[in-house]
Amino acid sequence: MTGWTKADFDLSRRRFLRGVGLAGAAGLTGLPLRAFAAEPDKPRELIVRAWGGSWVDSLKAGVSDPFTKLTGIAVRHDLTEDNEIQPKLWAAAAQKRVPPIHVNWDTTTNATKSALRGVTEDLSDLPNLKTVSEAAKPVGVDGYPIVNTYGYVYVLAYRPGAFPDGAPKSWKVLTDPKFKGRVAVYNDGIGLHFPAEIAGGGKLEDIPGNMQPAWDFFTALKANEPLMGEDPDFTTWFQKGEIDVACTISSNAREAKKNGIDIAWTVPEEGATYETDGLWVPKYLPENELYWAKQYVNFALTQEAQQVWLDGLGLPGVAPGLKPPADLVGDPSYPVKPEDYARLLRVSSKVEVEHESEWFGKFKEIMQG
Amino acid sequence: MKGDRSKAVTLWTFVVAALIMLSAPTLVVLGASFTAGNMITFPPEGLSLKWYAAIAGATDLRDAFLRSLIVASICTAVAIPTGTLAGIALAKYRVRFAAGVQVYLLLPFTVPLIGSGIGLMLIFGRWGVLGQLWPVGVAAAVINLPFMIWAVTASAAALDPDLELAAANCGAPPLSTFLAVTVPAVMPGIITGALLMFILALNEFLVSLLLVDARIVTLPVQIYNSIRSIITPDLAAISVVFIAVAAAAIALLDRLVGLDIFLKSK
Amino acid sequence: MDALEAVAAALWPRRLSSAVPWLMLLPAVVLTGLLVLGLWEMADGSFRTLDTATFLPSDDYSFANYHRAFTEKLFVTVASRSLIGSLIVTAATLVLAFPYSYVMVRTRSAALRKFLLIALFLPFFIGQVVRAYGWLIILGSQGMVNEALGLVGVAPIRLLYNYPAVLFGLVQYMLPFAVLMLAPALTAIPEEMESAAGSLGANWVRTFVHVVLPMAKPGFIGAGLVVLTLSLTDFAIPAILGGGSQDFIANAIYDQFFRTSDQGMGATLALLLVAVGSIMVGVVFALFGAGTLAMGRKP
Repeated sequence: MTGWTKADFDLSRRRFLRGVGLAGAAGLTGLPLRAFAAEPDKPRELIVRAWGGSWVDSLKAGVSDPFTKLTGIAVRHDLTEDNEIQPKLWAAAAQKRVPPIHVNWDTTTNATKSALRGVTEDLSDLPNLKTVSEAAKPVGVDGYPIVNTYGYVYVLAYRPGAFPDGAPKSWKVLTDPKFKGRVAVYNDGIGLHFPAEIAGGGKLEDIPGNMQPAWDFFTALKANEPLMGEDPDFTTWFQKGEIDVACTISSNAREAKKNGIDIAWTVPEEGATYETDGLWVPKYLPENELYWAKQYVNFALTQEAQQVWLDGLGLPGVAPGLKPPADLVGDPSYPVKPEDYARLLRVSSKVEVEHESEWFGKFKEIMQG
Repeated sequence: MKGDRSKAVTLWTFVVAALIMLSAPTLVVLGASFTAGNMITFPPEGLSLKWYAAIAGATDLRDAFLRSLIVASICTAVAIPTGTLAGIALAKYRVRFAAGVQVYLLLPFTVPLIGSGIGLMLIFGRWGVLGQLWPVGVAAAVINLPFMIWAVTASAAALDPDLELAAANCGAPPLSTFLAVTVPAVMPGIITGALLMFILALNEFLVSLLLVDARIVTLPVQIYNSIRSIITPDLAAISVVFIAVAAAAIALLDRLVGLDIFLKSK
Repeated sequence: MDALEAVAAALWPRRLSSAVPWLMLLPAVVLTGLLVLGLWEMADGSFRTLDTATFLPSDDYSFANYHRAFTEKLFVTVASRSLIGSLIVTAATLVLAFPYSYVMVRTRSAALRKFLLIALFLPFFIGQVVRAYGWLIILGSQGMVNEALGLVGVAPIRLLYNYPAVLFGLVQYMLPFAVLMLAPALTAIPEEMESAAGSLGANWVRTFVHVVLPMAKPGFIGAGLVVLTLSLTDFAIPAILGGGSQDFIANAIYDQFFRTSDQGMGATLALLLVAVGSIMVGVVFALFGAGTLAMGRKP
């Protein structure tokens, strides 16, 4: 890096030391690879892919801004969707180009695909991996090509006005003719396959061998004329009175509620899909940038960073000693105890990754018919 | 005269229907941008400029808008000579395999934008030029080029072969004839085409999404990506500012060249 | 200028004059060639299948993706939906665009002409997402139209998120292009031709049918081709006004590239779409003659 003078370095170093005082020891347990004095050149900035809206705001408050304070490295956020950046990253790796981002905040399923394809850096030597829970470890791949950072639940969100007798008890409400044309699900069916399998009369253990119950459920759902879209669509549809009930990520339902939309959510009797998101670093970064990208991931695993980041999202993290946000204490979308987790539907991400294309395809085939 | 009235009524019925169809969502969004509330609604909940204040402070939006202007300028600069030459060639000469050439030159419309985006990303990636704005501008020129070619071809109706012949007979060398006679004759088409290219590039989103990175993100990509969980009125305000800037640009163009030269019937 | 002429003469000798049109076409051919290169890169992938255990394309080549494209119900459904849709949209757009173009060209008021011109460009400036939001406010279950219907006692009707809504959205999106393609063709028709027909006793309908429409044929062909190809390959309108159940081929291509990470299948569908679109364009040129668009050329 040419632009860095000694004064800059001293300044950033001073800032760093001050940061240590503020952030405490947890942030400093980083720096695994080399002695501090020999740390590699700092890049001017790191680019971290993130989802927009409240998602990036939370990441910025909890991880990026404190990281900048700690290291002096600015963090720029790339808000390209996780699905849409994937071909860009894969093409860059195939052409051995420097990737357009340093850190990818990604769903574990998508990240696992990238890991299988071999475009991820190994993160096994991050010191904070020693302190985090088992959930941080990805399944079905060797080592840590990705690090899971928190879990989330695909809840059944509903408009309380449409349910005077209280929350709907079963996912079968989606196929109830009373709500014909007033239900919404993701346009690839994500999050709904597992509850559909159970609501359709099957068992979680039948996945992936026998998905017929799920397909039967989707066929009934199709007859109920669901709307299909993405997170902003659901918020808009609730807001404009187009729908009464939807399958969505709890964070988005919570965000809609914070913005004054009349909405509540529940985990029905069949349970609800539990998934994780994670962070990973793409291959072919210059060595010094790779080092600092890994520092960023390491920092995101600290309790301080996770507490602020995940308060914003309302999601349970992997760092020890996290406290749930006040509005989510006892909420089924924020599992804490083993019995909370027992209500949630989880399938090994290896199975998910291998069969997701086929499940999406089948869902589309039914819904586009 | 009764016939004239029925003609006018019929025509205007269609025109009004088309006008409503074209502008209704825009007018609603325009009105909604002045809301004092936190959601896009029409009529707006109280009047305020707070969403304009919100975007005025956002330097990233301003930077993205400037980058979009650069992309649109590059696109137009590439498209004008390319499309004009091709348009004149197709209009003036009998080209062998003309049908094949036309089908080829229409590829930008028959290739779905996602295909164009992925393909151009692979090509530009291989050449190592990604991460700059000019490939984004060139890409916008590629995917909209038929508009430029056809705008020129269509206005070549005004091309008068006799006039070119006369110029040549008076001893004017070919390049002078081309610049002094041919190009002015198709100028209305060049202006229409250039205007379209500029506006389409300014708003190009899907292909750009694959070609930009966070450092050079353009406005439409930035807006699309910023929407995650909720759509707020600042997006409406951005649209209004966008329209205002574009209207100013069109007004300027009108002052400079006179917009209706290419529409007025002779 | 003389120097320029000399350079031009050197670069462009008279004996090569038969090559002149090709030289003039060269830049456009090269620019479009970027797309061909891109398609070529993708073509390789279309013959490889995705291995979901490694998420890498297979080493061996096969026609498996092409076989899937022609046999799987999903692809057949969305393909026929987009083909039929693009034909309906083309017809509807031309019907709306002709009167608009005609009034814009023939009006004596420069102000009206400019107003009509600017109204064409307005919709471009609100992005697709915001535009969809605008339609929701107008046509939603609790939107302005349904509120108005409610006043006269009509129960709310779902106007959005179905096939007609997608076609409507496409017509709105394509209308400016069609008008701009039609306008020069109408400009080229001398107004005296119409008045002559009128003075010979033809009413305006007959004048339109026998004079204006035939003379505007090149414009209709041009506009029709633009609308047909762009709506056949459109992605955004079906996605935002279809409520998720009205996908076109481009949406299926998007899903393969971005959702299921099956780039080979995406490439296959994209290449097939290019083939279908190009064949349709070729048929139109074969029926109406390739010179249709070149109105200035004397036969």
